[in-house]
Amino acid sequence: MAESYVKPGNQERGWNDPPQFSYGLQAQAGGSRRTPLTRRAPPPPAGAPPGAPPGPPSAPADPAAPPPRALGPPPQGSAGAAPRAEARPSAAGPEQEECSVSADTVLAPLRAALDACRATVQKQVCNDIGRRLTVLEDAWAQGKLSAPVRKRMNLLVQELQQQHWDAADEIHRSLMVDHVNEVSQWMVGVKRLIAETRDLPSGHTDGSADTEPATEPVTEPVTEPAAEPEQEEP
Amino acid sequence: MATYLEFIQQNEERDGVRFSWNVWPSSRLEATRMVVPLACLLTPLKERLDLPPVQYEPVLCSRPTCKAVLNPLCQVDYRAKLWACNFCFQRNQFPPAYAGISEVNQPAELMPQFSTIEYIVQRGPQTPLIFLYVVDTCLEEEDLQALKESLQMSLSLLPPDALVGLITFGRMVQVHELSCEGISKSYVFRGTKDLTAKQIQDMLGLSRPAVPMQQGRPLQTPEQPVISSRFLQPVHKIDMNLTDLLGELQRDPWPVTQGKRPLRSTGVALSIAVGLLEGTFPNTGARIMLFTGGPPTQGPGMVVGDELKTPIRSWHDIEKDNARFMKKATKHYETLANRSAANGHCIDIYACALDQTGLLEMKCCANLTGGHMVMGDSFNTSLFKQTFQRVFSKGYNGEFRMAFGANLDVKTSRELKIAGAIGPCMSLNAKGPCVSENELGIGGTSQWKICSLDPSTTLAIYFEVVNQHNAPIPQGGRGAVQFVTHYQHSSTQKRIRVTTIARNWADAQTQLQHIEAAFDQEAAAVLMARLGVYRAESEEGPDVLRWLDRQLIRLCQKFGQYNKDDPNSFRLSESFSLYPQFIFHLRRSPFLQVFNNSPDESSYYRHHFARQDLTQSLIMIQPILYAYSFHGPPEPVLLDSSSILPDRILLMDTFFQIVIYLGETIAQWQKAGYQDMPEYENFKHLLQAPLDDAQEILQTRFPMPRYIHTEHGGSQARFLLSKVNPSQTHNNLYAWGQESGAPILTDDVSLQVFMDHLKKLAVSSAS
Repeated sequence: MAESYVKPGNQERGWNDPPQFSYGLQAQAGGSRRTPLTRRAPPPPAGAPPGAPPGPPSAPADPAAPPPRALGPPPQGSAGAAPRAEARPSAAGPEQEECSVSADTVLAPLRAALDACRATVQKQVCNDIGRRLTVLEDAWAQGKLSAPVRKRMNLLVQELQQQHWDAADEIHRSLMVDHVNEVSQWMVGVKRLIAETRDLPSGHTDGSADTEPATEPVTEPVTEPAAEPEQEEP
Repeated sequence: MATYLEFIQQNEERDGVRFSWNVWPSSRLEATRMVVPLACLLTPLKERLDLPPVQYEPVLCSRPTCKAVLNPLCQVDYRAKLWACNFCFQRNQFPPAYAGISEVNQPAELMPQFSTIEYIVQRGPQTPLIFLYVVDTCLEEEDLQALKESLQMSLSLLPPDALVGLITFGRMVQVHELSCEGISKSYVFRGTKDLTAKQIQDMLGLSRPAVPMQQGRPLQTPEQPVISSRFLQPVHKIDMNLTDLLGELQRDPWPVTQGKRPLRSTGVALSIAVGLLEGTFPNTGARIMLFTGGPPTQGPGMVVGDELKTPIRSWHDIEKDNARFMKKATKHYETLANRSAANGHCIDIYACALDQTGLLEMKCCANLTGGHMVMGDSFNTSLFKQTFQRVFSKGYNGEFRMAFGANLDVKTSRELKIAGAIGPCMSLNAKGPCVSENELGIGGTSQWKICSLDPSTTLAIYFEVVNQHNAPIPQGGRGAVQFVTHYQHSSTQKRIRVTTIARNWADAQTQLQHIEAAFDQEAAAVLMARLGVYRAESEEGPDVLRWLDRQLIRLCQKFGQYNKDDPNSFRLSESFSLYPQFIFHLRRSPFLQVFNNSPDESSYYRHHFARQDLTQSLIMIQPILYAYSFHGPPEPVLLDSSSILPDRILLMDTFFQIVIYLGETIAQWQKAGYQDMPEYENFKHLLQAPLDDAQEILQTRFPMPRYIHTEHGGSQARFLLSKVNPSQTHNNLYAWGQESGAPILTDDVSLQVFMDHLKKLAVSSAS
């Protein structure tokens, strides 16, 4: 599954660059674009000077004086509910993880899928995919791929073997978005391989019989002009 | 009044419409006396997760000058199978398919809860979407590498059936022929000479008009599409080759000597892009995506010369009429924008550079076509990368949010006419009985084209009441408006969204209190703001502020309760109470104040202001401020200097920036490291809370905002200090006695002073 993490932005190239969210986090939030913080404080009653808010009993400080030398500590308190305007789990930083998957575990099924394609798919395309799988193999062998990439490729291959085309596609997308500099050379070959394998005439199964339902979710349209009697009160 | 607020909110949720007035003054004379025009904010493709589209053609009124769509306001005779158009009163026969309808078996479009309804229609072949990348190669190595990777990544995000093409430019412009054979070819054009559409098509070998690609129609021998698709190929076919081609892109090879800018032929590159699409795929959804890392310095559309010692124009230069290239360059891009929009193609601009890139001259490309404008410092920043990813974002149902080729048609009942629209659209010059002679915004038409839009795109539409004074309105009579939007869905389906609304008329002389109670001050503020910004872009700045002030004073004179010449007696009813504050903040906003912004920055801010929905527009006018402290749960606080307290963390959202500001005490505690001590864990949570809330905004907003984390005394605190109402400045510091809040060093007028002046002017019998 795609990871959910937040990295800081590139402060060297852009001032106040916002943090970078992983593909998984962005996909989670996708859909709802409502700003959660949209309330405004009511205006003070006419005539009341806003300089005297009913307020926090903070120590009044004369602006000309230096900050108090003996600054007391914050109020104590152990873990409690975080005072949040919105309740949601905070995302952690990128995990430092290990991955002990061998190159062959990933490459073998990919090459097998490619072989299955050779019968129906153009030779040129197959060769191109094959070339890129070799690049992947070399990169893996030389230790150029980070642990998250290797881990997710393992997952991708498992989804492919179970014919979960959409899930495999989603993993490929998440890798392209999160680790483009590592994967760009060869990932497009894997993408193509998923697409071509999916389109193969049936009869080529490799593993379990789970098949994916229709590719894009389609909203169910109403087909009759005279709709079912919806006895709603107007 | 609670009931009107609910009414307003329900209508916005269902129909995506917010009117300045929800009870309409029944005569032209009275309507002009209302000061704020009768107008609405319309979000044509508002996200409606609960609205399944119907799969049949809409039923239209048979009168040729009307053609309104059947809607819940129409009178229906179920026995005779007739319906009466509520706009022109024509009696129409139902089509044969409706033979079975009755009072208990109504079609969806007659039910009141379907005041907004969406139709999926089969109209002609489904043409694929097109994405044409126009890429500047005069970038630093690091930037070019980051851009190349983003483009390669985007190939995985595009709809697989979409067509994609590539044009690169620097000193020359290269149109790349995409093929699956080994050798990559390209056509090279000089960057100094503009070409007509015909010349471009001839030189690229696109002489004959193209037939749109017929996908899945194997019987037809496509002799033409083979030629026209040399430059635009389906992603699923070309992704591997294009990935390699992008990977091999080099920096522009022409050397740039010391003291010079690279020669960048943006004008010709865009011209070729527009001409290429015009010749091959007119009238289908397409995006021309321009990626540029600096200003155009060569050829038509150049914005600055190549000598670094001549800086690019500033507002000062423009005011002193010292911007040599501006008029000609603007005209060049305006012509391109108009041609592109006429073909239904949008132009996006992704400009990443530390200096200006000519957004001022090129803004019409994005504004007329509905294309995006993204401004960043470098392509190697999270701001660009993630904003670019979000162009391809999908909604809850897994469908792309982007839509194309929208045609908005507005119909009104006869007491109303349409004065114009302000938003990312182009006029279609559709004359008719609904069109007013008085123009506000893009007028003289009842139809506009929006080549690219998404569920948040919002237009402002201005109306004119034309009923004569003393002409009767039937008791309980209502006026109606219908918004019909034809568009191409991202799945390439043709769809029609129809929204029909009605509001009551009222005689302003006897029922002013009803009209007053139904005033939507938030919508009114945004509608007036759009008018103000529209004027500012075509007139001098200070005149707009004077106009805005005059309108505000007139509004207060009309609707305030006061005794003549007694400012202290002045009161505004609740439905108007926030309006002066919005205007105060609008006057200080970067939309009307160009000081401290470059012309490109002002263009960028105004671009986004003219297309966002009401909530986001209000955030831009008057930023949101939330306070986090130990004294209670997080709460919104006044955008005022008195809200800046030492033991608080403030989160400010201006739409373009998210600012987190640590009060003085909080900052000292953090420096002392209390958050790392286990017994002060709640302090750690307090520090984290605003970060988590900010994250929700950062994750979804387009474009991605800047993220500023600062504290008391920090230089970046200026972003907060410049936005809050300076109720306390160095001038009045000791007038309040005990200090609270942070004084702002400014000579700007505060809201209190502004309100005092306003009241004085409103109650004065001399005005």
